[in-house]
Amino acid sequence: MDEVRTGDAVIGQYDHGQALGILASARPAAIKALAERVLDGFGDVTVISNRTGLAMLPYQDTVKGTAFHLGEVLVAEAQIEVPTRDLEGYGAVVGRDLEHAMAMAVIDAAIAARHQASVILEFLDAERRHQEESDRQRLTLVEATRVQMETF
Amino acid sequence: MAYVATRGGEQAIEHAERLFRSDLGTISRDRVDAVRKTMPYLVDRLMGEASLYEPDLAALALAQAGGDLYEAVLLLRAYRTTQPRIAFAQPVTQPDLFTVRRISAAFKDIPGGQILGPTLDYSHRLLQVGVLMGEDFTPEAVPPAAQPAPATQPSLIDWQKAQGIVLDHPVETVAPEDIPDLTREPLLFPVPRAHKLQSLARADTGGTLALGYATMRGYGDVHPTVNELRLAEAPVRLRHPRGTIFSAGRVRVSQAEIISKSKNLELGFSATFGWNEIKVIAAATLDIASSQPNPASAATEEFILYHTEPVESSGFCIHFKLPHYVTFQSALDAYRRVKADREAPASTAVEKELTQALQDDAP
Repeated sequence: MDEVRTGDAVIGQYDHGQALGILASARPAAIKALAERVLDGFGDVTVISNRTGLAMLPYQDTVKGTAFHLGEVLVAEAQIEVPTRDLEGYGAVVGRDLEHAMAMAVIDAAIAARHQASVILEFLDAERRHQEESDRQRLTLVEATRVQMETF
Repeated sequence: MAYVATRGGEQAIEHAERLFRSDLGTISRDRVDAVRKTMPYLVDRLMGEASLYEPDLAALALAQAGGDLYEAVLLLRAYRTTQPRIAFAQPVTQPDLFTVRRISAAFKDIPGGQILGPTLDYSHRLLQVGVLMGEDFTPEAVPPAAQPAPATQPSLIDWQKAQGIVLDHPVETVAPEDIPDLTREPLLFPVPRAHKLQSLARADTGGTLALGYATMRGYGDVHPTVNELRLAEAPVRLRHPRGTIFSAGRVRVSQAEIISKSKNLELGFSATFGWNEIKVIAAATLDIASSQPNPASAATEEFILYHTEPVESSGFCIHFKLPHYVTFQSALDAYRRVKADREAPASTAVEKELTQALQDDAP
């Protein structure tokens, strides 16, 4: 979980950045299934773009404070519009999973439209718990390697 | 150097490629998945050198190249050129790093403590030959600690700056799209620090180690100690069209700060994609070494950055096996002419001596 709340809540207790972060790290099969469900009764969706591309990742040097480019990360992104609701949705995930990005864009638009909000909120809660638990388990293993060095 | 096109041999060339590929056999999704899952450090090394983060593609490149790293780097760099750049992510800073390993060889008690993380540093290096006899080698499980480690760790250098141990340099505030970018601009010397660190991030691991090791052994004034070494996952934070910043996922990164005992506790830095400790330690050492007033010749920025670029160096090396018949024939002709020229006066001299001898012997 990398999401810290920085803005107004857009669904439940989540601000827009938190919701997008949870969706981007959601389990792919689960988010795709949710998007299918959300599309029901949502209106026609037009795909503006659905492609892979490169995101340059800058990094801050700790020694002299110089920002430099670490390299490029392949990301999948999707942008859609829902003309009947005058809304757009956007999704982007690290990797090549175009369907994941598309599902994220659909859910992003649905959040803006407050369409199926309770279903989406339930999903966000479940995925957040899953992501936090996954990190917590990893970090308990990491903590087991904490070392107290002694010198003689 | 001059080149000419060659003709002929199309069938042999096609058959040679087929022979290479048939030796590798069918490349399946399962094989690629196996490479990705079983050799994450090799995949990491490749992504760092290719300067492109996508583990599936890196595993595919390795499978397709049969494990030839330079071929795999070339495949990934070539693939990269087919993709548009669609975003600049937000700069990664220390508080962003989901840290799984953080150690210091210079300071025993560091704020946040020392976390060994996944490492073979203190283990016996024994080949598990039993596996070849059919006995699986299954690692023992790690007993989890009661509490998780902190997800992020403070920057050690911030503590040192606060203590006045090392110089505090002001952080440069540059918009991501204005950061000098080697993929769009040539490497010109003296290099901006941003180009130097980017070039080291995508440098060849072996080349970086060779030059770093030379410096460590004494070809330079730097006596390195690892100030901090960190393995982590960094969020890739993108901007939504409505302006919201969000994390699109994480990528594995490694970084090293090296402190030199020789002069005013100077520090060097390096970071790269993937978990590749040797590369960042060697590269951070080269960062300090190349910043000295009169660096050793193999520790100058130009020497380091030109000779650790994996595609250019490997490409230049292997191009020597491609047809050079005309240039070589030309050199051979010149050699023969020189040889003939050298031999000509000698022959004349011999002839003169013989003539003189005959005249002397004449009755």
